[in-house]
Amino acid sequence: MIGYVARRLVDLVFVLLGVSVLVFLMVRFIPGDAVEIMLGANTDITPDRVAALRHGLGLDLPIHVQYWNWLTGVLHGDLGTSIWTGRPVADEILARAPATLEITLLALALALVLALPLGVVSARARGSAGDLVVRLLSIVGLTLPTFWVGVLMLLVFSLYLPGWPAIGYVPFATQPLGNLARMALPVVAVSLPMIAGLTRILRSSLLEVLGSDYVRTARSKGLAERPVLYKHALRNALIPVVTVIGVQLGYLLSGVVVIEQVFAIPGIGRLIIGAINQRNYPLIQGIVLVITAVFVVVNLLVDLAYAWIDPRVEYE
Amino acid sequence: MRTRIGLALVTLVAAFSLAYAQKGTLEVAVDQAPVGLDPDIVTAFSSFAVVNEIYEGLVGVNAQLQIEPALATSWTVSPDGLSYTFELRQGVKFHNGREMTSADVVYSFDRIMDPKTGSPQASRFNEVAKAEATGPYQVTFTLKEPFAPFLSNLTNLFVVPKEVVEANGDLQKVAVGTGPFELDQVVPDTYVLLKANPDYYRPGEPKLAAIKFNVVPEASTRAAGLRTGTYQLLPTVDPVTAETLKKTSGVTVLGTQDLAYSLLGLNTSRKPFDDPRVREAINYAVDRSEIVQAVYLGNAVPGGPISPALKDWAVPTSDFPCYTPSVAKAKQLLADAGYPNGFSTTIITFGTIKEVADTAQVLQAQLARVGIDAKVDVEEFGKFVQDWKNSNFDMFVSLNGGSVDPDGYLYRTFITGGSTNVFKFSDPSVDQLLKQGRTTPDTAQRQAIYDNLQKQLACTGPIVHIAYGTLFTALRDNVQGFQQMPTRGLTYLRETSLP
Repeated sequence: MIGYVARRLVDLVFVLLGVSVLVFLMVRFIPGDAVEIMLGANTDITPDRVAALRHGLGLDLPIHVQYWNWLTGVLHGDLGTSIWTGRPVADEILARAPATLEITLLALALALVLALPLGVVSARARGSAGDLVVRLLSIVGLTLPTFWVGVLMLLVFSLYLPGWPAIGYVPFATQPLGNLARMALPVVAVSLPMIAGLTRILRSSLLEVLGSDYVRTARSKGLAERPVLYKHALRNALIPVVTVIGVQLGYLLSGVVVIEQVFAIPGIGRLIIGAINQRNYPLIQGIVLVITAVFVVVNLLVDLAYAWIDPRVEYE
Repeated sequence: MRTRIGLALVTLVAAFSLAYAQKGTLEVAVDQAPVGLDPDIVTAFSSFAVVNEIYEGLVGVNAQLQIEPALATSWTVSPDGLSYTFELRQGVKFHNGREMTSADVVYSFDRIMDPKTGSPQASRFNEVAKAEATGPYQVTFTLKEPFAPFLSNLTNLFVVPKEVVEANGDLQKVAVGTGPFELDQVVPDTYVLLKANPDYYRPGEPKLAAIKFNVVPEASTRAAGLRTGTYQLLPTVDPVTAETLKKTSGVTVLGTQDLAYSLLGLNTSRKPFDDPRVREAINYAVDRSEIVQAVYLGNAVPGGPISPALKDWAVPTSDFPCYTPSVAKAKQLLADAGYPNGFSTTIITFGTIKEVADTAQVLQAQLARVGIDAKVDVEEFGKFVQDWKNSNFDMFVSLNGGSVDPDGYLYRTFITGGSTNVFKFSDPSVDQLLKQGRTTPDTAQRQAIYDNLQKQLACTGPIVHIAYGTLFTALRDNVQGFQQMPTRGLTYLRETSLP
């Protein structure tokens, strides 16, 4: 087990290295470098001044040298400095992380709280009116774009609940209630596709398990339906659900990028959109690195969760 | 005893008027966070919105686009038009409490002109030989040659305190000016908070205790926030949102003529746009009223090289024959130029301003009617700016900013080698008129020169001028005293009050 985790962590290093090379190259292939974007449509700047700015940012160095400088910095724990604000990239990310983390975790919690019972109900009452409703709603939830749902909720709230503080962000520490009120709409918007996806996966996985031999055995030896479902079937049905949660967390992050834009929340999503528009290379690289690491670690945790759900799973 | 009562009264009145004068925080929603705060370095409009509340120049411009006194109370111009002497307002304090004097004006001018500052404002003052402190409250600017737009350019010379610049390297993150509001707090990508300058020299201003510029990237979110009262002022609103907000109770929508214009730019260094007949043909092919209706929902006016908002300068479009659309004339001109079957080309544009991208679509259809097959390429904004700057286009659709002086509209854009002449346009007679226009002090003579220039440029110039839109501002009904500016400036926030 420990050896397995160690090996996965070594993999993580290689994934991060690969992603860093890709992102490093990709941001430099986008037309227009940081200096040109910084100067915008301003044509009165002399070429000398442009060259000086570029030199100051180290953008005149050969690309492999730039990468090496950046990489050695990262290995020393220094993600670099944001080109526009002059603040350390790590500080920028840390300042924005709470909002994004909060939305993501709340959305995940909401998805679990709703998807588990819905999936179970739907599978148990297969073919019933309730099952039909759940299946229809889950299709709707999967299809509606997060962006659209967010804007729609905002409009509905502004018309019927104008007193609700729907826009912006206040930290939980300073205003717990204000924070939760503002988080409600974005959390619902980003969790909808996840609720729908998890419900469908759980339903089909549970149906499959309920049709298997050992469930028939359990039933035929006279076990009541409740213990059959919750003690025997559900546990086995959860394995694919957990896998999907790991993958969906990645999608959740992309939904958060959009939703932060709609609700004017200063999170990681807004930060990376701004960084890309401004060609803020160190910031883009830093954010992508952090997101990649989070994604890989979450998937590692998902793999480890298998053993907890199903003791037969072993890691070699 | 009497004096004592008098003194007490004065104190009471002063205390009362101060308490009365400054109250409330105005919640403003803007689309973008300011990109730096140094008035001599920034170029982004989002920065100027904030900077304009903090800093001031010797002169300012009012809602009628007239030059008015600001840090200077009066000025005199020598008969030869080469020397401008300004009398400064006395007792004006920077936000750090130090008094502003003539030395600060000279320092601010020198800072803009210093190549190390890299100020985009520098080119506005190329005609100035020097600025001197001719007294503690008097500054004299000496010009190399008479320069008519000098006063209107001077509105861009913000007076900054030397010691703050030297302590911080630049003014991108700190802000100390003389303006009605001072910087209180910046939370990146969230808000900028300004608070009233208690020592401001205009009596009874500012009336607000604070202004909060909330950064809200989504237009629909800003509109929803205005409806609920979360925000009280949206400085810019697109025409479609303006229409819906007009029907909302508790909300007022203001409109004024924009100085900026939408345009179809032509690269005159590339065939076939090097031929004036082709440029004229395109003008005949374009139906500006159709664009005004389809893209701006009627909230714009077709215009020539100068905004109709500059009433003393703009030539009415009825004087431009090519502004009456005619497919027949366009085809005839194309045939004369050797393109009887039209030609294929590409229009580049960008998607961040809806009216711009929409205009490109309508233009594509209009050009097709005369046989010009134009592919529309909607580029990411950063790439567009680069292609624009490097003249890497056949045609482009964009929005050009305006000016309160005709020279600002025409000189940089049309003079051979001009800094925004990305069209590579060069016409000796235009060059000569542009130079005359800026060196002629007499207004009537200047008007004649610019009338002539507009007629020359309207139909065969490198720009097909399309339309000057209406600028919309939306505010809650309880916001009093705000006035819109055609420049998009928020100067009148200092007169704005909340109940």
